[in-house]
Amino acid sequence: MGWLLGVDVGGTFTDFYAVNTDTGEVVVHKLPSSPQDSSLTISSGLDALSDRHQVPVADLERFAHGTTVATNALIQRRGGRMALVTTSGFRDLLEIGRQIRPKIYDLQADYPVPLVPRERRFEIAERIGAKGETIIALTEAAVDQVVEQVVNARVDSVAVCLLFSFLAPDHELRIADALRRRMAHLRISVSCEVQPEFREFERMSTTVLNGFLQPEVSHYMTRLGAELIERLPNASIGINQSNGGLMSVEQAARFPIRTALSGPAAGVVGAVDTARRSHRQDVITLDMGGTSTDVCLIRAHTAEMATGREVAGFPVRVPAIDIHTIGAGGGSIAAFAPDGLLTVGPRSAGAVPGPACYGRGGDQPTVSDANLVLGRLPCELVGGGMELDLAAARRAVQPVAERLAISIEMAAMSIARIVTSNMVRAIRLVSIERGHDPRAFTLMPFGGAGGLHAFEVAREMGISELLVPQAPGILCAQGLVVSDLKEDFVATCRTPLNGDLSAVHAELERLRQASDNWFQREAVAPCDRLLNLIVDMRYIGQNYELGVALSADGYTDLPARAQLERLFFAEHRRAYGHYDPDAPIEIINLRLTAIGRLQRTLAMQDGRRVQGAKSGNRPIWFDDGGAIDSAVWHRRDVAPGTALAGPAVVEQFDATTLIPPGATAHIDDASNMIVRLGS
Amino acid sequence: MSNLDPVTLQIIWNNLRSIADECFVSLMRSAFSTNIKERHDHSTAITDAHGRLIAQAELALPIHIASMTGLMEALIERYGNDINEGDLFVANDPHEAGGTHLPDINMAMPVFDAGRLIGFICNIAHHADVGGAARGSMSGGLSEIWQEGLRIPVVKLMSRGTLNHELFDILLLNMRLRAERKGDLNAQIAACRLGASRMGELLQRYPAAQIKVAFQEIIARSNDRMRSAIALLPDGIFEFEDFMDDDGVAASDIAIKLLITKSGDRILFDFEGSDGQVQGNINLTFNAVQSAVFYALKALLDPELPNNQGVFDAVEIRAPEGTILNCVTPAPVALRANTCQRVVDVVFGALADAVPERVIGAANGSNTSAVFAGTDPETGQGYVYLETLGGGMGARAGKDGKDGVQVNITNTSNLPIEAIEMEYPLRVLEYSLVEGSGGAGRQRGGLGLRRIVQPVGHVCEFSGVGERFSHQPWGVFGGEAGKCGQFIKRYADGEELKLANKASNVPLEPTQAIVMETPGAGGYGPPSDRDKQAVENDLGSGKFDLEFLNDKYRF
Repeated sequence: MGWLLGVDVGGTFTDFYAVNTDTGEVVVHKLPSSPQDSSLTISSGLDALSDRHQVPVADLERFAHGTTVATNALIQRRGGRMALVTTSGFRDLLEIGRQIRPKIYDLQADYPVPLVPRERRFEIAERIGAKGETIIALTEAAVDQVVEQVVNARVDSVAVCLLFSFLAPDHELRIADALRRRMAHLRISVSCEVQPEFREFERMSTTVLNGFLQPEVSHYMTRLGAELIERLPNASIGINQSNGGLMSVEQAARFPIRTALSGPAAGVVGAVDTARRSHRQDVITLDMGGTSTDVCLIRAHTAEMATGREVAGFPVRVPAIDIHTIGAGGGSIAAFAPDGLLTVGPRSAGAVPGPACYGRGGDQPTVSDANLVLGRLPCELVGGGMELDLAAARRAVQPVAERLAISIEMAAMSIARIVTSNMVRAIRLVSIERGHDPRAFTLMPFGGAGGLHAFEVAREMGISELLVPQAPGILCAQGLVVSDLKEDFVATCRTPLNGDLSAVHAELERLRQASDNWFQREAVAPCDRLLNLIVDMRYIGQNYELGVALSADGYTDLPARAQLERLFFAEHRRAYGHYDPDAPIEIINLRLTAIGRLQRTLAMQDGRRVQGAKSGNRPIWFDDGGAIDSAVWHRRDVAPGTALAGPAVVEQFDATTLIPPGATAHIDDASNMIVRLGS
Repeated sequence: MSNLDPVTLQIIWNNLRSIADECFVSLMRSAFSTNIKERHDHSTAITDAHGRLIAQAELALPIHIASMTGLMEALIERYGNDINEGDLFVANDPHEAGGTHLPDINMAMPVFDAGRLIGFICNIAHHADVGGAARGSMSGGLSEIWQEGLRIPVVKLMSRGTLNHELFDILLLNMRLRAERKGDLNAQIAACRLGASRMGELLQRYPAAQIKVAFQEIIARSNDRMRSAIALLPDGIFEFEDFMDDDGVAASDIAIKLLITKSGDRILFDFEGSDGQVQGNINLTFNAVQSAVFYALKALLDPELPNNQGVFDAVEIRAPEGTILNCVTPAPVALRANTCQRVVDVVFGALADAVPERVIGAANGSNTSAVFAGTDPETGQGYVYLETLGGGMGARAGKDGKDGVQVNITNTSNLPIEAIEMEYPLRVLEYSLVEGSGGAGRQRGGLGLRRIVQPVGHVCEFSGVGERFSHQPWGVFGGEAGKCGQFIKRYADGEELKLANKASNVPLEPTQAIVMETPGAGGYGPPSDRDKQAVENDLGSGKFDLEFLNDKYRF
């Protein structure tokens, strides 16, 4: 009997999802997060799993963990005192960045102040050229001098980023080595290890962020590792990364930046798995929580990836699942813009004071208040724990109603319509604006509030089907359980496609060697090893490259020139609508992803099918036409085989799903709910 | 006045923005040239049947706003009764068709519902070449617009769905890189068609009458919003004057003069007294002045204000014909962006006393550009490397001006050093902030940028366009001026030669280098009020030396 556990620490709740791989039995548990120390929460969660749910904790096979330690440290600017070592003439690069402003019309908006002040950015005499050749050699004297500067700066973390180090890492490594010898406890982030690819500012920014996070995150990881080894002696421990895969605790301590965008990534991995089990391959996710909504497009069971993202205003270049986030959540506040129009979000009431209906002192009208007024949310959340204050919600929405000279219910409808319209814009962006027709996709709502708005979003987009996971509120924790081990390797090797490719082959060999070493280090059995190769290519003269995936299921070698060309044309056509068969192409980067498969086929629960029963009725507003009497179902009562018809609402501890009039729903064998929307 | 509730209005407006955004992305994706595809030098918009701007893509550029409305005015004047389903209009001429410079080619496609004109889908794209005397159609040293490229009045490129191949061929034959131009123009056409079809879908969901009311409401509400922002300004007369360095041909110290009369919710910008148009290509057509004034007002009063006709209608602007701010044929205009930047500074300067807490010191006030051209010794192929450089941003009431950044109407990113060196036979020796270049003040001005570039293994040529290289970026409320920028040729022995502000075709040996220093920016408030800790940071960071700090702050 094998148990796997996913633990996802979020801003408000820490979710536990345990699954028995033999029986398919699932145990979920939810605790309020402790902002000070999430390891305490983890500990009490383990207690609860073992005491209340009889999960044999000591025998857990795997512990997969998603953490926001890095994200929070960045947002609160809580990190190490840092120095930066860089090539002579370029210490201001970190501050200049791309010389742009975040908002063209806003004279007050700036990108954040760099995490290393100018006086601790040290220049060193050395220079590598564009072919990796040494233009100015690095002398021992120069190294000694910079080591001395770093010593005197009394820092606990240092980033080293030199020009063209991705082609010739020697100078960076020598500096790092000298620093390490002199200061054993100094944390060192080296750009050729953090993200060895071209574009110096993004590489430098990523390296600095990594260095900034190292003290805090490695402290957390060390403590967590020590605690878990006592309680879970048999479990392998994986930490979730932004690319949707797991890494070891040691890797996470070295490269904490890789966790900075990991929060919503696990949800997408969970969504891919859920969709697969329900036999859907093209899905758009709608992960709506308290303050924001994350949207991601999944095609053929694969989420789109992006390498350039921002965290807390800083550019980060690490492989990450391409998720688009907008400020629309249950706590988003409705307000009037100067032109008298109603807006919803991005301002949010957050968890404290929260929506007015939470009764914690909030008095601004939020999306959750509107949903309560409309009967879409119950006055008491299933499973107890929290009562919602309808009178407070109505009081909060009333000023909106007065200003628009409509009823409170119609004002609440207005808030719901605006938030839907904002989500539609986000989905258009990841689908239509990237050449995908959303009508060919299934919409998968999750998070606490996704199911409340999905039917309206789907209607606006012409989407006819919803797929609601069994436990929409903890899909991230579920995603952790089905995540694989993952490590990304990258090499920049700019070469014309019609030129001599031997250097590219050599780089690929080097990457393969590195991935082999990693497989061994992580003890991945040969049968579980998988390599994916992406070749970044572009037309000569273009500034941005396109990633051409060579195969989704492993590869053997770099394909022939003609094949690469053909794949590039296809990708260019998909991304830009056309390609030029005659223009010269160049290879820019090789990206090799090594995957250690952990996923195993989780058993479905027994194939029993039963028709469940509703637990009551209540009036719900689905549209402007007024409230209609709707069936109330508890999710625990809707086992596989249950069919239901709208108007209805399906409630569970942390999520609510609306099924509008004319729609039908059934629970499939994977325990997910498929909703077909009527026209 | 209407039967449209505000929530439906908001949703229709969201839809219109989405359509403009989708057209923007579509144009970007399907264009062929780097300038559109990667630098996003294009804009998309929707107008009503009268050519009034209703909605714009979120990433649309400030300089393109008025150019789009300029085209619509010319279009309606010329074709008022001859606009049919399937027509497509094209234009670029600053003097005849409301443009601001020739490389910006405008397109507009009418949208009909049941045979009645509803509005237009428009876009504008900066083409890398539109013919003329010099590659790139942006060169200095030309004295007539005919030399700058092909002039296109408003004409129909498509009539009732049929492409006018003869016209298309004439356009293409007059431009360099014909295949790329064709690709970009086709992308513009496709973006118009896409927008028109999306409008068609919208019209199926909302009746035309409702859409028309929405157009009216959008204009009225933005107009109200702008007017109430204006009303908050104190009544009075506000003046300012500043000077362009030179036109690179003959004229220097060219005056830009502004008198603002503000009363209630009305405001008049009168540029009477500005100097006459010049031979060099820094002239503005009236539309370009409008773009600059709207940018400045929006930035000062309400950065979130949507761009549409309602905003324009709230403001009156006058600039006498034949001046540098309302030039007439044959004035060349390619480098109008530099002058637009100065107009923004002048508006800020004039309104300093009216909105002291929002105004900023003069920024680097230019669009410093540098071009290195030569033949790659390894490949034997010609190359042209163009870069526009940021500089200091003016100090603000609450914080120092940002160092080394693009300001006001421009916000283009730099090219990574590693990209430059992989792409061109050039080496970047330094990329840094110009220490001491920000004007002193309670809040100090931002620092300019220094970039030092050297050719590798061959002789190349450098051309540059600098502004605020002679006229310093001033401070406000006692804040001091920032330093001017300069182009310097540095010889092997370290000897330095200062180049002209608009230097052209300067030969450069592999042992030599060009030092580009962009202007800093002006300070805010008297230096004596500067926080002691801030002065210490200025010293600690090395951004200013002790001598400067002693002198300005008695440190």
